[in-house]
Amino acid sequence: MTNRRKLRIGMVSPYGWDLPGGVQAHIRDLALYCMDQGHEVSVLAPAMDESDLESWVQSSGRPVSIPYNGAVARVAFGPVANRRVRKWIQEGNFDLLHLHEPAIPSLSLLACWAAEGPTVGTFHVSAPKQRAIYAVGPILEPAIEKLHARIAVSQTARATLVEHIATDAVVIPNGINHSAFAIGDRTSEFGSRTIGFIGRFEEPRKGLSLLIESCEQLILSNIEFTLVIAGPGDPDPFLASMSDALQSRTRFLGRISDDRKQQLLRSLTLYVAPNTGGESFGIILAEAMAAGAPVIASNIPAFSNVLDAGTAGMAGMLFESENCSSLTEKISMLLEDSSQRARLQGVGIEHAKRYDWSSVGESVIDIYQLVTSSGEKVRLGSELRFARAGRSE
Amino acid sequence: MFSFVWYLSFTATRLDRLHHRVETSWANLDAALKTRSALALEIARSNLSDPATSMLLLAAAHVAIVAEQSERAEAEEELSRLLISLLEESALDEDEELFRELSLARERLRIAIALHLESVTRTQAQRGRFIVKLFRLAGRAPLPVRYPFEDIEV
Repeated sequence: MTNRRKLRIGMVSPYGWDLPGGVQAHIRDLALYCMDQGHEVSVLAPAMDESDLESWVQSSGRPVSIPYNGAVARVAFGPVANRRVRKWIQEGNFDLLHLHEPAIPSLSLLACWAAEGPTVGTFHVSAPKQRAIYAVGPILEPAIEKLHARIAVSQTARATLVEHIATDAVVIPNGINHSAFAIGDRTSEFGSRTIGFIGRFEEPRKGLSLLIESCEQLILSNIEFTLVIAGPGDPDPFLASMSDALQSRTRFLGRISDDRKQQLLRSLTLYVAPNTGGESFGIILAEAMAAGAPVIASNIPAFSNVLDAGTAGMAGMLFESENCSSLTEKISMLLEDSSQRARLQGVGIEHAKRYDWSSVGESVIDIYQLVTSSGEKVRLGSELRFARAGRSE
Repeated sequence: MFSFVWYLSFTATRLDRLHHRVETSWANLDAALKTRSALALEIARSNLSDPATSMLLLAAAHVAIVAEQSERAEAEEELSRLLISLLEESALDEDEELFRELSLARERLRIAIALHLESVTRTQAQRGRFIVKLFRLAGRAPLPVRYPFEDIEV
């Protein structure tokens, strides 16, 4: 009965709404799903350009680039952001707040401090231990304590949380739109016996240079294939590093639209994810599986989890991370073995259904219902109380 | 001949004086940096700013304070950049006592940097002279270096 209660949900994005990023994409999809289910959603996010936002998104001002933990974070903070957060909470009349990435100095942290009442936090990153984590404890701990439920998007994100702030979380993966990938046309325009790679290939941790090295090996073994690479970046340094034979078999598509990406994944003979680490989830693997592309991925923890490695129904193939001969062997084996490919395709499409929004979104809404069961509303805490709560540490 | 020996001794004395100056100016700079981190830490813990600002300050000041010698330059530079961004966002309230102390500390730091840079540059110039190299007049004194953070605004 309570399961049908319609909720007013406030979501907070730490990163600029009009900048590309996995967290923002996840929040957008989740918000759309919740609205589809009849809930009301308002998203608060920093934005570069406030004039071009969806009607259900409110801007907290522009994001600022600042150094944090050895990297540059683009977040919003300061008195202006703080005032907008408080105003948004006060006027929102929310049943609950869903804060994304509340453990970094961001809008989500501000909202977490300002609000009283049902709150859910989602942790996206898996990061190496922060140098300053002990020092920021007095600010982080009271905030994390206030969350009624904590969600991690993957086992690795959960491990990060346990290690950094000694708190546990429910794992609910990122969602995909399964049918958009599974249903649609295939095309042969990318070539035959295609090996696909999608992502920001300039980042070394995405592992494109390893895949190129493997492809050179394939050419030496006289194996036919076409290498198709999609994603933003400058292909020239990679093309320059290739042999002529490989260059003639390689296509760089540049940045592609969602439709085109779905079509590409459906048309591939193989999808290869040679990432060397730094991945929290690996949503591209779920998308490739949904589209019916047999997957070969490095055996980093995030990917093993997505593919359900070690079980009988394992939905892809793993190779030893950063090992060129291991990758070459898997690619040549799978290219030659069409029955194995067909098997992986069938398992993959089925396996990827667990990442569809209909299942992922429902799990999130279950948590919403749980934390709002008391009927308590989100309200603004007094600033004075926060000051004291912080000081007692 | 005598005048040449005298000149060598004169140059060596000059060099020695410069090395002492570098040591003193570094000690001053080090103290100014420590004061700045300590104030940043105190502001972060005082709840005078919003939690995100406090957290940024805490993290950067803590890293600067515990940094090993090899990481020090990077950590101090990060704190400098952060303070500049915070001031640009007017995330620090200029009227509070602690913030006034911080801006005084930054002022003193700017002077300490200028003095240190000057002594380092002069020493490096002397050390680079042919005669100093030939007769090893600097002995085993380490060649003073400029840290990258000395070149950015604090």
